[in-house]
Amino acid sequence: MDSSAIEKIIKEIGEFTPAHESAHVGRVTQVGDGVVAIDGLSKAVMSEIVVFEEGKGKKLSEAMEAKGELYGLILNLEEDGVRATILGDSARVSEGMTVKSTGKILSVPSGEELLGRVVNALGEPIDGKGPFKNTTMMPVERQSYGVIDRKSVSVPLSTGIKAIDAMIPIGRGQRELIIGDRGTGKTTVAIDAIINQRNEPEATRPICIYVAIGQKESKTARIVQQLREEGALDYTIVVDAPASAPAALVFLAPFSGVAIGEYFMDKGRDVLIIYDDLSKQATAYRQLSLLLRRPPGREAYPGDIFYLHSRLLERAARLSEEKGGGSITALPIIETQEGDVSAYIPTNVISITDGQMFLVTDLFNKGIRPAIDVGISVSRVGSAAQTKAMKSVAGGLKLELAQFRDLEAFMQFASDLDKATADRIASGQRMVEVLKQKNGAPIPMEKQVSALYAASNKFFLDVPVNRVAETEVLFVEFLDAQYKAMLADIKKTGVLSDDSKKTVTTAMGEFRLAHPEIFSAAK
Amino acid sequence: MEEGYARALWKVIHAGTPAHKAVQALTETLKSHGRLALSPRIAKAFARIAERESAREGAVLTVAREKDERHAHAEAKKVLADMGVEVQDLKTEVDDTLIGGWRLEGRGTLIDASFKKHLLDIFSSVTGA
Repeated sequence: MDSSAIEKIIKEIGEFTPAHESAHVGRVTQVGDGVVAIDGLSKAVMSEIVVFEEGKGKKLSEAMEAKGELYGLILNLEEDGVRATILGDSARVSEGMTVKSTGKILSVPSGEELLGRVVNALGEPIDGKGPFKNTTMMPVERQSYGVIDRKSVSVPLSTGIKAIDAMIPIGRGQRELIIGDRGTGKTTVAIDAIINQRNEPEATRPICIYVAIGQKESKTARIVQQLREEGALDYTIVVDAPASAPAALVFLAPFSGVAIGEYFMDKGRDVLIIYDDLSKQATAYRQLSLLLRRPPGREAYPGDIFYLHSRLLERAARLSEEKGGGSITALPIIETQEGDVSAYIPTNVISITDGQMFLVTDLFNKGIRPAIDVGISVSRVGSAAQTKAMKSVAGGLKLELAQFRDLEAFMQFASDLDKATADRIASGQRMVEVLKQKNGAPIPMEKQVSALYAASNKFFLDVPVNRVAETEVLFVEFLDAQYKAMLADIKKTGVLSDDSKKTVTTAMGEFRLAHPEIFSAAK
Repeated sequence: MEEGYARALWKVIHAGTPAHKAVQALTETLKSHGRLALSPRIAKAFARIAERESAREGAVLTVAREKDERHAHAEAKKVLADMGVEVQDLKTEVDDTLIGGWRLEGRGTLIDASFKKHLLDIFSSVTGA
């Protein structure tokens, strides 16, 4: 290159005038515990995203090394400024820093590309598989669909867990709370429900979203690994806001999850979303509200804690055909302390949801897993979505188990029982065994129906109680091997026809003959 | 509490009440409420508000080199005139990290026409950072 060309370039650089655009800015006046007070930003709106200008006074090379832009979320509009929460490392914010308004409401990316990925509460990938290329931005805060746009729940969402599908059925678009003390298997129930969706035809299989709120990173990693091993990660998105994340991200994660889900629902797809768990979200929101100097109420939670959960869970819906017919089914989880379901947050969420399943420590410790207390668990809308086949076998199940629980308590004191009572206890004991299920082993609906039909027809009455669970597994395997057509028919029609009943009865006889050692052991 | 009193004092003075009258009225009010001890803290809070407000009124023009000042000044004034803003108190600062161009900040607005911003934008669009 000759010297004249170089001179020309230098001259051009010298005369270069970069385009300039104006931005609405404010200045950080206070920073602490993830919350900043900003002076200025008089045109800011609630839930607007602001950008902290970290590069000021730094050399170009240093500014380039910054780990992406640092965002804040406006949560309080005050007389002479705003208060915002930092969506990232608060150590990067200093007093006097310039804050730019973006004019944008917080949004997260969503789309098919997110399937099989792990993202943070801002929708940024955190699984090391690279950035997203083709996504649609969805607003994190959005008004839920109104009455006209919805239709009632009528399609079942099978969890693969016998006790739930039979007695506390869930429909697509429903909100069913999973509640219980720590270590009672709440997450396991939710994960099994995700895994079971692999049994659904691909066209109608719900997209699953697991939102880990304030969980240990090791637990989330284990869940992701389990989903991957079971082949469930392909249709699942994991939104992770770990316990180590700032409170703002923990509080936002469920909203981000549902925003991602709404993309699919708007496209007419079904979505299953798990919020694990909303107690931790409430705690994070309480922390944030106190730092924002909002007045504390009961248990120091802010006055809008009910609205926080109701506006989140109202976004679960089943849309009308005009709106595409998509749905979001929400399974929020709440952790109780010492089984106290009458605490503030549990009662709030119980009143918002369409039913709840209580998991009880006593049952868990007795080895009854899933440890669902069917007496106080309920599904208010799910029965409308239950298949006819399941309805026909699960009709009296809940009552039978409730009666058994009463008799079981009585049995501890009474030494001499009449035959009817003894039979009822024997039947109840076996039914409890049939409803037991290992974790990570959901069962398709048709197999559940067959097993429950057999159980309700006293098939297991001659089996020793300690061998019922094993026998049930063997019987289902036997049906799968010998009567595939019958199982396929139940799956296809959703009905347990007279022919199918006859076939199951025949199979029961054949199985009994094939396994005399099991049935003779009880005698 | 002192913030509230200071803000009220600022508003009253800003609305046109002579400062000595406003202060006298405030002192009497404090005396009648038995809160005269708050006076030093109110004064400090008032000073903070005054500083903040004056910062809002003024503007700072930052240039990369001293020799760029005149050119930047002219350009900034032109931009402000286009926006219909008249700034009386325009301070100038030098910040060599800007590399070139200029940057105007004040009255809740930032106009960044620096080379550094331009280069950072290019870097972000190329790397997706």
